[in-house]
Amino acid sequence: MSRLPRAVAAPRAPWLLIVPSLVLALFIISYPIFNIVYQSLHDVSRFGQIRDFSGLQNFYNVFADRVFMSALRNTLIWTFFVVVGTVLISVPVALVLNQDFYGRGIARTIVMLPWSVSLTMTAVVWRWAFNDDYGMVNVTLQRLGLTSGPIHWLATPEYAFPVEICVGILVSIPFTTTILMGGLSSVPGDIYEAARIDGATAWQQFRQLTLPLLKPFINMAILLNVIYVFNSFPIIWVMTQGGPDDSTHILVTYLYELGFRLGRPGEAAAVSLIMLVILFAFSVVYLRLQAKRGSAEGDLA
Amino acid sequence: MNSKLKRSIWCWLALSPLVVAVLFPFAVMFFTSFKPASEVFVYPARWLPMEWRWQNYVDMWQAANFGVALRNSIVVSCLSTALALAVSLPAAYALARFPFRGRGVYRQFLLVTQMLSPILLVVGLFRLAAMIPYGDGNLVDSKIGVIVSYAAFNIAFAVWMLSSYFQTVPRDLEESAWLEGCSRTGAVFRVFLPLAVPAVVVTAIFTFISAWNEFAVVYTLIRSPENKTLTVQVTDMVAGKYTVEWQLVMAATLAATLPVSVVFAWLQRYMVKGLALGAVK
Repeated sequence: MSRLPRAVAAPRAPWLLIVPSLVLALFIISYPIFNIVYQSLHDVSRFGQIRDFSGLQNFYNVFADRVFMSALRNTLIWTFFVVVGTVLISVPVALVLNQDFYGRGIARTIVMLPWSVSLTMTAVVWRWAFNDDYGMVNVTLQRLGLTSGPIHWLATPEYAFPVEICVGILVSIPFTTTILMGGLSSVPGDIYEAARIDGATAWQQFRQLTLPLLKPFINMAILLNVIYVFNSFPIIWVMTQGGPDDSTHILVTYLYELGFRLGRPGEAAAVSLIMLVILFAFSVVYLRLQAKRGSAEGDLA
Repeated sequence: MNSKLKRSIWCWLALSPLVVAVLFPFAVMFFTSFKPASEVFVYPARWLPMEWRWQNYVDMWQAANFGVALRNSIVVSCLSTALALAVSLPAAYALARFPFRGRGVYRQFLLVTQMLSPILLVVGLFRLAAMIPYGDGNLVDSKIGVIVSYAAFNIAFAVWMLSSYFQTVPRDLEESAWLEGCSRTGAVFRVFLPLAVPAVVVTAIFTFISAWNEFAVVYTLIRSPENKTLTVQVTDMVAGKYTVEWQLVMAATLAATLPVSVVFAWLQRYMVKGLALGAVK
């Protein structure tokens, strides 16, 4: 307890230690946010010249745009399927990697490997792998006799987006598995022994012991993944640039195209703000639900 | 057959689809990068090159301007890591050691900065860079703008990782140093930091990797070829080109990826501990 008097004696010390990080983060974040709000309310020329105050005109334009609405729908589909797919695959993968088996170190390393590769590079490689005539995906499928001719993966709207979702799942697994494995390592081993002595089957052990203990980690993984996946730019930008026929745009790629390709920065700023609101609302609702459910369970227990 | 061997077979079988999916792109990169152009665009294509062409890597170095991009990636990643650590270390120490007021608010602030990914702010970031005078122009197309924004966006992760490790360093050691007449600051430098070196190194490497792999900010802020980093350089070889020389592109992606992957493979086990502790506490 000898530290207490000192901590009380210097209440400013922790703040002094925190200030540099706070200043740097606020500097990089606050001006851009201010600027986005400002641009979204003004008529901005293609070259970034701010003209007149235009009220909510940029927002009207965005909502009237057919591509925005499909990008919004795609973003929800993209985020939902990538996050759900990732969690559904990562839970069993983490459970397997937590077993004691030969080559576990190698297996863990392989599962983690996509994390080390830039999303941009991954997307470039998959774009080549899904090439119509020369890509290794079609070559392999044909060699295995699964398809008769080349499938035009990235040129067909019905295929391109699911393919990108699969790539999104693949690159999100390492991070999610990491968090879940951290959770599993905090589970004491003797409770399983006790359960086994009581005659619990493997499935019962999973449902009654592992899953409840993993729950906070799964929740955290879902929240962080939703944030990352919702904001994920390179996969779609590099693989299809929103095409074919704007069918694979999500909000980030649409935002980038508006701002830096089509020369409509005011509308791009409006999309940024809409996205911020969606993300913020999701996080607040999610954390609230978590807290409520947590306290409800606490009451029962 | 002993039970561990049996379990190993089952585990590997269960993981096999994922293992294939993970290794598939590496195989594509590796084999394509050694094919001569005439074998890349041949129908039906085959996996293995008939002629192994090492010359591709030499050609790629020229075509991709790889040396310059590599140097830029190294400079940007090193400096942004250094800056991120310089501001995150004290903050992480404060979070781990002082029960101060506003701690919860600061943690929430960090979570919010995680939420504001660079891509959402890219329109405003560009404006910020254009506003700050530097040299004859402004920070658009300057590495400094990229470095500072990477550092800022990595603070949350760095503080998170560092403070979760710092909590595991026993307090008693510092406290006994105080009793022996060491000042609080002295104890940090002489007792605490030497123990924290592994955590700092691991955090630094992960920050480095995330800067190395970042795309949206450099893609927006950097215009001229002599300032481009590897991710942008490789994308430029692919995007908007009528004919893409895939054997060179794959050589470039492999050369840009492999060193980082090797370091990552060696360090990934530290990540499990640090992230999980930080995530729930």
